[in-house]
Amino acid sequence: MTVALRAEWTKLRTSPGTAWLLLAIVALTIGVGAAAAATITCGAAGCPEDPAKISLTGVQLGQALVVILAVSSISGEHATGMLRVSLSAVPNRLRLLTAKALVVTGAIGAAGLVAVAGSFAAGRLLLPGSGFTEAHGFERLSLSEAAVLRATAGSVLYLVLIALVALGLSTVVRETAASIGLLLALLYLIPLLTQAVSSPSWKRHLQQITPTAGLSIQATTKLSSLPLTPWQGVGVLGCWAVGSLVLAAVVLHRRDV
Amino acid sequence: MTVQNIVVDGLRKRFGSKQALDGMSFTVDAGRVTGFIGPNGAGKSTTMRVVLGLDRPDGGTALVGGHPYRTLPRPLTELGSLLDASALQPSRTARNHLLWLAHSQGLGVRRVDEVIELTGLGSAARRRAGGFSLGMRQRLGIAAALLGDPRTLMLDEPFNGMDPEGIIWMRGFLRELAQQGRAVLVSSHLMSELQDTADHVVVAGRGRVLADTTVAQLRATISDGRVSVRTDDPNAAAALIAAGAAVVATEPGTLSVTGLPAPAIVAALNARQVVFSEVTAHRATLEEAYLELTRDAVEYRAGEVAR
Amino acid sequence: MSYLRAEWTKFRTVRGWVLAMIVASAAIVGLGIMPGMQGTCGDDCGLPTGPGGEEVTDAFTFLHQSLTGDGTITAQLTSLTGILPADPDPSAEESRGTGPSAANGTASGRPGLVPWAKAGILLKDGTRPGSAYAAVMLTGAHGVRLQYDYTHDLAGPKATQPQWLRLTRTGDAVKAEVSADGSTWDTVGTAELTGLPATVEIGLFATSPQYSAATSGAFGISGAFGGPTQATGVFENVSVTGTATGSWHGEKVGGADDVASGTSQENARFTVTGSGDIAPAVAGASGLGVTITQTLVGSFAGLIVVVVVGTMFITAEYRRGLVRTTMAANPRRGRVLAAKAVVIGAVTFVTSLPGVAAVVLIGQKVLRANGVYVHAVSAAIETQVIVGTAAVLAVSAVLAMALGMIVRHSAAAVTTAIVSIVLPYLLAMTVLPAGAGQWLLRLTPAAAFAVQQSTPEYAQVDNIYTPINGYFPLPPWAGFAVLCGWAAIALAAATLLVRRRDV
Repeated sequence: MTVALRAEWTKLRTSPGTAWLLLAIVALTIGVGAAAAATITCGAAGCPEDPAKISLTGVQLGQALVVILAVSSISGEHATGMLRVSLSAVPNRLRLLTAKALVVTGAIGAAGLVAVAGSFAAGRLLLPGSGFTEAHGFERLSLSEAAVLRATAGSVLYLVLIALVALGLSTVVRETAASIGLLLALLYLIPLLTQAVSSPSWKRHLQQITPTAGLSIQATTKLSSLPLTPWQGVGVLGCWAVGSLVLAAVVLHRRDV
Repeated sequence: MTVQNIVVDGLRKRFGSKQALDGMSFTVDAGRVTGFIGPNGAGKSTTMRVVLGLDRPDGGTALVGGHPYRTLPRPLTELGSLLDASALQPSRTARNHLLWLAHSQGLGVRRVDEVIELTGLGSAARRRAGGFSLGMRQRLGIAAALLGDPRTLMLDEPFNGMDPEGIIWMRGFLRELAQQGRAVLVSSHLMSELQDTADHVVVAGRGRVLADTTVAQLRATISDGRVSVRTDDPNAAAALIAAGAAVVATEPGTLSVTGLPAPAIVAALNARQVVFSEVTAHRATLEEAYLELTRDAVEYRAGEVAR
Repeated sequence: MSYLRAEWTKFRTVRGWVLAMIVASAAIVGLGIMPGMQGTCGDDCGLPTGPGGEEVTDAFTFLHQSLTGDGTITAQLTSLTGILPADPDPSAEESRGTGPSAANGTASGRPGLVPWAKAGILLKDGTRPGSAYAAVMLTGAHGVRLQYDYTHDLAGPKATQPQWLRLTRTGDAVKAEVSADGSTWDTVGTAELTGLPATVEIGLFATSPQYSAATSGAFGISGAFGGPTQATGVFENVSVTGTATGSWHGEKVGGADDVASGTSQENARFTVTGSGDIAPAVAGASGLGVTITQTLVGSFAGLIVVVVVGTMFITAEYRRGLVRTTMAANPRRGRVLAAKAVVIGAVTFVTSLPGVAAVVLIGQKVLRANGVYVHAVSAAIETQVIVGTAAVLAVSAVLAMALGMIVRHSAAAVTTAIVSIVLPYLLAMTVLPAGAGQWLLRLTPAAAFAVQQSTPEYAQVDNIYTPINGYFPLPPWAGFAVLCGWAAIALAAATLLVRRRDV
């Protein structure tokens, strides 16, 4: 297993886009978060926004790049036929997929940690200037607050799980462009569609089952209005990740490459 | 006077630190098959890409029928080419692949069916090109090159991946095209593939032309007058040295002799009554001539095996 | 021409792409009709139409008498107060205006005024909702206004203090004046009410529109909560000149049966309490029903599909080296790019147009059959929405293709295209504060969805004017122009690169 792991790591490390993508994940996540924290305004009357969530806005964009990285790590091999070489080196397909999943987890985990930590720092720095002050009923963002810690650490976990969903589904779909389309549809389209559903109960159910339910981990206020508790939300995304990887394993096992 | 279908003049092209083309110049004339040979990395494919206007040279010109390729209004009717037989959309059928190419030249479906017939694609034409064997893809590539009924054809490594039957077909086909008066430029890194096909060879190495000559002349230049003698007689070497030759024992029972023509060697051996079974004047194969020429130009040489 | 023909042949001979285009069209229709929005509107649920033919809200309390011929009405508004709904319960999510959202029940909440609470004097062609009118009024937060025939709104002094108000009818012209002390009068403006009959109703009115506020709801996706409000105007020194007939008669015009309404008279002091609005009807949180834009949610799914196909149209060639064959066959690379753009754009437009047309036309019927009130729009607007949406998809596909040509890699191109077109829209609706969200929808390619706006935004109606309700920060064709601008930049960059680059 360690051999397969090492091979996958070398593959990821030496593929030209990886470093740029990881850098972009960090930069864009922090950039968008900082921009949101700086542009929002909170007046004397108070405001409904959730400061932790505002500073973590960038995760919504960062996840798109996470998807690229995860999809490329497998569909690139399908495209070039390198998968055949990989499987000749590591014939056990489950092992290959596991190694890939672990390597992607490591890379996204590390980049996600930096990105989320940076976003948190930017939020802590910028939010008071946007009116999220004690006078308006907001304390400075602090990791010593359990909910904020949960939102921050949970966002890293969210990105990792998104990467695993992407890895699993793109193994099944194979075609790069189609995989990206499918995943971005899951991440961006479904939330839009649920907006259009008028029946509150349907809407709630839909919000409970989509991968983006995992974003509820970012909430630190008004938890009672969430369709799912933060950890339940991550659990739903976790199910997606496990489900996609199992599907991928089954398909990879059965399919000729 | 022969029509010069392709004129390559002083091409230079650098990729990063590597000088891929370093003054490549040659012409391709009508009515014959010109072999374009050289080791990997000699600049053959780059030259072809420059001719097709795909790569921009740092210096020099490449003309097709007297014009830069990119100015040709219907280029495939002037020059048909095959660079990479795998450059296909796998989900498209062979026939549809030819069809869009035909449309790009203002040609109709009739010509598509003609070239399918001509290259023997026949029934495979309506199958997905993605499922083709390499040999079938080469045929499809040739069909595409012939689509515009061009005066000139340029094929990059067309023998790659072909089975013996396919190679024989390809050789005959190329000769036939040349006999029809077309100019045919065929690249290869294996001289032997072109041995019975090319009339003329351009040998490239390290981005320039090492030799531009006919096959016969190439052989003659390289032939070094070595003669091999098969004999078990221990006196043979002494007899030949006495006659003024230089002798090397290449393997048990075989001597390689230089400095004497074959008839003189036979005479010398007979005079000393040495028993021998065979005297062969060494006639350089094209392969050997090529290896000789490109010895210094080989980019990636196999490391010497440790003894 | 041969370039175009070759690219078209290339496109139509890849079965996956052709299927994808059909899927895109089907997704637009399917997702548009599926959400199964239910409403409570039966046949009786309709909006009055104003003199200009537009749908209007016309619900207020009117204390009036008849005036024949020219004349004036003068009144001193001595106080304007109101009641707002109680603080929202964050866990109770309001369903957006899918049924009549006119005030119902007695507003029982905290005292306060919504910005467009109105009380003042009114001259109206009868009491039929939707009839022509002119009114001068004090508002909750927008000072003194002259409003007439629903869509017209003129600002007077920025007063918040009670004012003297006067309307003077001369033929079809109604002049509005305001005074702080009842002796020096300033003209606010003059309303031209063409075809006003000789006898009109004049009097005092009060009304107060639905309170609505955006909330940050689940997943950061904004919801809205709202509730009925009421306004009470107290008038003194009411005088009418001209041929007035009848005594003061209090009446609730329009609106639901159970709204707070009342008039009372105590010596020369009149009190009028009302709820509702006299304004153009809007869709969304503070209005009634939905717009035809609602049927087009599926266009996002279609967009993702056409973006994927648009990208693959070029990146598939790069992946296999087929692009070299293309460039060898057609050495004028700029033309190859142009031909590809024309083919993918035209194919997308032609295949998505029927889907968009079907979902807008059928979707409206389905929604109405489900009891959802759908704002009627003119054929011209319907055409704008349908053709515009198909055009947005087409230009998006071209943008994606150009991006594919620039980066030569599917993953990066598809992501850039989808993220730049869909994500700003999503962010604007979810986490981002309104201001930032609006800017995103002005600057990014997402601006193009403005072509789906079918009803205008009115300054005199407070509403949550968000894309999900069918309102965009840019005018339709300006939004489309933003996308075209991006596509043009991408195409120019791609042309430059493809000319310079070795393939």
